[in-house]
Amino acid sequence: MDIVDLARAQFAVTGSLHFLFVVLTLGLAPLVAIMHTRYAITGDPLHERMTRFWGQIYVINYALGIFTGLVMEFQFGLSWSGLSRYAGDVFGAPLAIETLVAFFLESTFLGLWIFGWHRLPRALHVTCIWLVTLTAYASAFWIMVANSFLQHPVGSVEQGGRLVLRDFGALLTNPNLVFALPHVISAGLWTGGFVVMGASAYHLFRRTAEREFFTRSLRMGVVTATVGSALTVGFGYAQFGVIESTQPGKFDAAPESALGLMIGIGQLLQFGVMFVLLPLLIKNLLARWRWLHPLLMLITPLPFVAAIAGWLVREMGRQPWLVYGKLSVADAMTPGLSKAAITGSFVGFAGLLGLLAIIDYLLIARAVRRGPGQVSLGMPDRPADPVPQPAHSL
Amino acid sequence: MEIIWFGALAVLLLGYFALEGFDIGLGILLPVLGRSQGDRDRLVGAMAPFVLAGEVWLVALVGVLFGAFSTLEGEVLSGLYPLVVALLLTWITRDAGLWFRRRADGAAWRRVWDGAICLGSAGLALTWGMTLVALARGMSAPLLGPAGVAGGIVVALAFCVHGWTFAAWRLPGDPAVRGARRTGRALLLTALTAAIPAALAVAVVASALIDHAAPPETLTTLGAIVLPCVPILVGAQVWVWRTFSRGALPTFF
Repeated sequence: MDIVDLARAQFAVTGSLHFLFVVLTLGLAPLVAIMHTRYAITGDPLHERMTRFWGQIYVINYALGIFTGLVMEFQFGLSWSGLSRYAGDVFGAPLAIETLVAFFLESTFLGLWIFGWHRLPRALHVTCIWLVTLTAYASAFWIMVANSFLQHPVGSVEQGGRLVLRDFGALLTNPNLVFALPHVISAGLWTGGFVVMGASAYHLFRRTAEREFFTRSLRMGVVTATVGSALTVGFGYAQFGVIESTQPGKFDAAPESALGLMIGIGQLLQFGVMFVLLPLLIKNLLARWRWLHPLLMLITPLPFVAAIAGWLVREMGRQPWLVYGKLSVADAMTPGLSKAAITGSFVGFAGLLGLLAIIDYLLIARAVRRGPGQVSLGMPDRPADPVPQPAHSL
Repeated sequence: MEIIWFGALAVLLLGYFALEGFDIGLGILLPVLGRSQGDRDRLVGAMAPFVLAGEVWLVALVGVLFGAFSTLEGEVLSGLYPLVVALLLTWITRDAGLWFRRRADGAAWRRVWDGAICLGSAGLALTWGMTLVALARGMSAPLLGPAGVAGGIVVALAFCVHGWTFAAWRLPGDPAVRGARRTGRALLLTALTAAIPAALAVAVVASALIDHAAPPETLTTLGAIVLPCVPILVGAQVWVWRTFSRGALPTFF
């Protein structure tokens, strides 16, 4: 592998890892917010337990979204300094707004939500999770604005070998953004719905004591997946016309297998969810038909696979350009980047993030297995004064 | 407009050192102050609610560097390549320690992640010192020299003092800080002290930064979107400090 290949591989690995966690974050955030709102309005302990259980899954998953996201942000400057030199005055603007406004608020409000149990008034606490959801979607919007600019560089002109911003509004109405953004966000809902569905199927199959909890959760997961999958597929097909006019030949550059995999999974599952799983919510047949539950668990990872395949199509179809038609990937690479440097960072990032990703998934699996009875999110605080421990505790 | 965005960059860097410095310092001191698991749990519980609101200052800083000083962004990050990689790896290690330490049972599990907090924090402080020295010297000298190491030690010490003061302010009279008590004013003082190394580096590179600001179209657009949000950003940070400065300790981290 030469240096460009290594730098590309580093970006692809960290970017794919990032999206695996982000896609679930985008899907679970509104679900947890809805659960928390129900709890705030009704005071029903079932809704409190649902908020804490699914909220904990959401939060454990969130950690890896941060870790991988940090590497993504710094990586542009590390190995692709040619991008900021050539297009930074345009491409940098949405990224700056994403970090300075959207993520800044998202992280701050998430801290308030995680640690604010028993401390914030209930209405304000619920407001926090809605603000987290809102700012997470704002983050997705700005990142997609930046990404769509790479696909179709609008709103700018080249002056003295650099792009200069001319029309910021054109970035926000980029044809490569208007269908891709809802496509990505719906894929998040679909993924979130499937994770809730799969984890509920596990408990129903095992016949744990939480029957009502997981019957309701299963229903919420299937409804979310129905809406998410229908919108994902719709906004997916809607992009073909745009791509035909702005990036002709995109699907020749992208690996055909990735496109086929995404469409195959998407189409098959969408039909299955809409015409099989949704009708089986009548009289809770899906929750009662135990023989179906292993299948529900088995298909849970498929939206993740489709999501990664989708990104591969979008980004590999852009090759050999970094900024489509204007700046090639090879020209965007940091001049003088040594093989030792990129190899070292690739091993470091892939090794550490890969290890933490595996640990994180094991922790999510553990949290699912233990069920709503043993959730640490929202546990009572400890007094600040150290309490002397009795010699023999129960 | 250049001056406003330079100011934003400076505020974010100094804010990061003041508001995240104590988390990093307390992380370094975790095995020293927290002799028992209970002590370490209280120390982590004290700082936990501030970490998410503190580390975003650096995320925002790099975003502003990209948006408002784009020609410098690639030059600085790639010029400091090994330091930036080390900064990311140590930062992530520290964060993983915080997020994971209570996610499974057992004393050994928690000790491992407490170790990750300490090592990650120490590496992060040292890397920051070396980075500031390299920036101030214009990235021309070798990145790893005696001056860089000295800078790393200075930053680590400043963070440790800040972290200890934070613990004595948030957990007054606690055995982990040997019964010490510190006022909010003392904490403000160590916050300012922790920000001095960052302020010095910013002062040295100020004119180079302003010269490399993005063109007016970019800066005006950014300003029109970001400036109206500043009161919300500040309000959210104040909310965190008002909520978690006193009372019982959260137990999620």
